Amino acid sequence: MIKITELQKYYRTEEVETVALNSLSIDVQKGEFVAVMGPSGCGKSTLLNIIGLLDDLDEGSYKFNDIEVAKFNERKRSDLRKHNIGFVFQSFNLIDELTVFENVELPLIYTKVPAAERKKRVEEVLEKVQIMHRRNHFPQQLSGGQQQRVAVARAVVNNPKLILADEPTGNLDSNNGNEVMQLLTELNDQGTTIVMVTHSEHDARYSDRIIRMLDGQVVMTTVG
Amino acid sequence: MLRNYFKSAIRNLVKNKLYSIINIIGLSVSLAASILLLLWVWDELNFDKMHSKGDRIFRTAAAMGSTKDRVWEHTSAPLAIFGKEELPEIEDACRIQEYNNFLLFTYRDKKFNEKATYVDPNIFTLFSFELLEGNPKKPFTDNRSIILNETLAKKYFGSEPAIGKLLQIKNGDSYKVTGIMKDMPSNSSLQYDLLLPFDILAENRQHNPLNSDWGNFDYQTYFLLRPGASPERVGKQLAVIHRRNQPSDFFKDLIYLLQPLEKMHLYDVLGHEQGMRQVKIFLLVAFVILLIACINYVNLVTARSSRRSREVSVRKVVGANKSHLFWQFLTESSVIFLLSIIIAIALIFIFMPLYNDLSGKQMIFSLFDAKVWFLFGCTMIVILGAAGIYPALMLSKFNPALALKGILPGLGKNNGFRRLLVIIQFSCSIVLIISTLIIGRQLTYIRTADLGYTKESVFTFSAFNFTKNYEAIRDELQRQPGVLGVTTASQSVMNLMSSTGDFNWDGKPANMSNFIINQLSIDRNFPEVMDMKLVDGKGFTGTAADSAHFIINETALKQTGLQNPVGKTVTFHDQPGTIVGVVKDFHFKDMKTRIEPCILFINPYWGWNTIYIKTSGKEAQAALNSVEKLWKQYNADYEFNYKFMDDSFDEMYRSDIRSGKLFNLFASIAILLSCLGLFGLVTFTAETKVKEIGIRKTLGASVNQIILLISKDFLRLVGVSFLVAFPLAWWMMSKWLENYVYRTNIHAWVFIVAGLTAFIIAAITVCGQALKAAQSNPVKSLRSE
Ligand SMILES: Nc1ncnc2c1ncn2[C@@H]1O[C@H](COP(=O)(O)OP(=O)(O)OP(=O)(O)O)[C@@H](O)[C@H]1O
Ligand SMILES: [Mg+2]
Repeated sequence: MIKITELQKYYRTEEVETVALNSLSIDVQKGEFVAVMGPSGCGKSTLLNIIGLLDDLDEGSYKFNDIEVAKFNERKRSDLRKHNIGFVFQSFNLIDELTVFENVELPLIYTKVPAAERKKRVEEVLEKVQIMHRRNHFPQQLSGGQQQRVAVARAVVNNPKLILADEPTGNLDSNNGNEVMQLLTELNDQGTTIVMVTHSEHDARYSDRIIRMLDGQVVMTTVG
Repeated sequence: MLRNYFKSAIRNLVKNKLYSIINIIGLSVSLAASILLLLWVWDELNFDKMHSKGDRIFRTAAAMGSTKDRVWEHTSAPLAIFGKEELPEIEDACRIQEYNNFLLFTYRDKKFNEKATYVDPNIFTLFSFELLEGNPKKPFTDNRSIILNETLAKKYFGSEPAIGKLLQIKNGDSYKVTGIMKDMPSNSSLQYDLLLPFDILAENRQHNPLNSDWGNFDYQTYFLLRPGASPERVGKQLAVIHRRNQPSDFFKDLIYLLQPLEKMHLYDVLGHEQGMRQVKIFLLVAFVILLIACINYVNLVTARSSRRSREVSVRKVVGANKSHLFWQFLTESSVIFLLSIIIAIALIFIFMPLYNDLSGKQMIFSLFDAKVWFLFGCTMIVILGAAGIYPALMLSKFNPALALKGILPGLGKNNGFRRLLVIIQFSCSIVLIISTLIIGRQLTYIRTADLGYTKESVFTFSAFNFTKNYEAIRDELQRQPGVLGVTTASQSVMNLMSSTGDFNWDGKPANMSNFIINQLSIDRNFPEVMDMKLVDGKGFTGTAADSAHFIINETALKQTGLQNPVGKTVTFHDQPGTIVGVVKDFHFKDMKTRIEPCILFINPYWGWNTIYIKTSGKEAQAALNSVEKLWKQYNADYEFNYKFMDDSFDEMYRSDIRSGKLFNLFASIAILLSCLGLFGLVTFTAETKVKEIGIRKTLGASVNQIILLISKDFLRLVGVSFLVAFPLAWWMMSKWLENYVYRTNIHAWVFIVAGLTAFIIAAITVCGQALKAAQSNPVKSLRSE
């Protein structure tokens, strides 16, 4: 599903140029659950953003479902993104002005799903993440774990083929963390491809394969 | 989708109440204010535009001399007749004479003093004034016909039909009502209530028939030209006709100027801007008010959009594309704008009566008025363009991976564009403050200037029967309690409307053959009662010889070039006489006019129509009472209509005073709006710096240091605005003051005061907010991020 070869990514500021990713190549198969690990600053988030088409790459090739997307423009990317990829962040990133229901509904609105259908699907996923009773609350009125479950619900409501999760349990205690991991595993079992960045060996054990990074390069791959 | 845009727009408004309120107040107040201003401008621009042939109607003014510096807006009576007959370009001509004194009209037991106007009978076909009853082609049946406006008809006849009724005047004549006209619209320069046939003026003039009296420039003449005719050419030919009929050296460079009727209100005869300046100023103020409000809006929205980067990124991440975000932001701006329009409309309706009062107009605000919507449309485009589209584009463009981290290209905290806008805004405000001060000073200057005679505690009234036995009545008035002095003159000394070329002296140079001098017939004690100063000579003696004595003013002396004038013989209206004094220059016209030559003489037959009573502030009431008692004895039929000269004076400048007040009002609104914007911006800055402030405070920063942290940037911007505003204001106000011949100077202190005011207002706004932020609990502020 994802085939990245010889990827280079630089960050340029006035004084220095940081090499965030250095001739990195990875492959992710359909239906795989991959964990990405490595010390802070090694480029994990950068990689995830590139996979998610939130950020450009400077050199190399990125094939998504055998289509070269490295040179896609903003419109094509956003099209590809909204139909295929769901995101879960460490800091939840829910929109404060919208209720739980509306946050989850948002991706469906942008993909022009009719209202009745939206309602059905949002309620389904809210049911699945067990947050249905809080559907009309605003994010600040929820605990961290609940917020992350909403974020997961939002990531999957469009039935994306790929879910990208950047330290999804980073802000949660172990109970809440395990719940979220459980959710991701279920999704994976139903066929969704998952790429997850984590610092936790415990969480990484949920995955099929662990990619270890150092200084912008893949140093080791272990199959779990 | 649209519903979703609206929902999130309204949520955002409600969540950020303070900003929403600032934006909505700012926009609605500025919309309301600028629409009110534009209504005023519109009203001014539409003066005299109600006539269907208006573009071909011209008022005739006579001008003398190559420089055309002496112009009067009256002509002789035959000009209209000869012009119409001889010049094919002239389609029609109408003469009007406003009779300056009151006539007493009686109907049964109703008696009123009215000002009558003599008009040619084609007034209703040449102009488009509406005749409600009567024949517009022949409104007068004979010389004893009269036309009333609706108001007067109602006053005399109530609900009875007025046509055919007879109105009596004092001398026994009675006039039959042959027409009722609609009251002339308030934006007409011609304002007449009661019309009499012009031909009445020709009666009893066997020795000097009216229509061959070329020398008496006492009538307004309006010409209707044929399409395509050149008014300049017609003017020149009229002068040729005049000279042919009255060959006199005096008229050798007489020229007639045809001024378009539609320009009468805003331009002078020579086409120089008069009221037009005010119109332009108000237009500018309206623009500035809108500009300031737009700047506020753009500033706040762009400043805040950086705060919203996270929301926008999240939307992008879950699938929003550029156009989704673009429309979302545009919807937000539109919602704010719509709310503002509604409030603005309400504000306009609420303040319209007050505004009409203040401006002395009868403007009507209507939602069916295309220009109102035109203005709304324009502002909306600016607001949505600058404030909606700009941030929408910025926000929809950026890289969401960076934006989630709070890194935003172009929308960062130190946005140069936003600073520029703040500088523009504050420069406008400072310019307005300076203008307000200078306009105020000029108006005070005029009102307190030494006129060369006293206007304090002097009241005047028309003499009526007092003229018959003036000397005796003067002495009787003099004895009344509270009366300090009594005198009379043929006209108002404040606005002298009589001049002549019949003034000659030995050695008058040939090039001065058309020298013109203003003339005022006075009682001999006039200079003394009115506190006028003689710079030479002893003045009138109080003997019979005074009838051949003249006093001239300093300007007359300078222009004639007479040496040792006192005792010199001159001829005035073909009568020789002696100059017995030179009076210090005094203002007998308004301050916009340079003082001209003037001659004072004693001749009761000129009609000593205005009586001047000097009293003192304390005794004014007593004087009024006693004069009125005497009035009733002699003038039982007439109302006692007195006027203090102070009030008459203010009336002369009423439009200036009104414009001054309006200007103050709108300038204050503009200044307040700038402050509102600044307030919003500072509040926002303080908010974004909550975390920084919290950390600094935990590390030991004092309140003062934090205030400085927040304020210094803004106050620096205000400082830069001074540098922009001062020269601009100086230049603008110098131009404005040129309007006045007698004017105040632009003092440095005006700039200092304006600068300080602006700075203090800005500092209060900024530091108040900064103080609030600085005093907040650091623990709380740290947690809030
Ligand atoms: N916007 C940026 N500008 C400059 N350098 C950046 C930027 N974002 C990341 N970097 C640099 O790129 C490198 C990779 O950063 P990245 O955020 O991918 O690390 P990470 O592996 O996710 O670390 P962590 O585990 O702490 O989240 C780091 O050295 C970081 O300093
Ligand atoms: Mg990271």
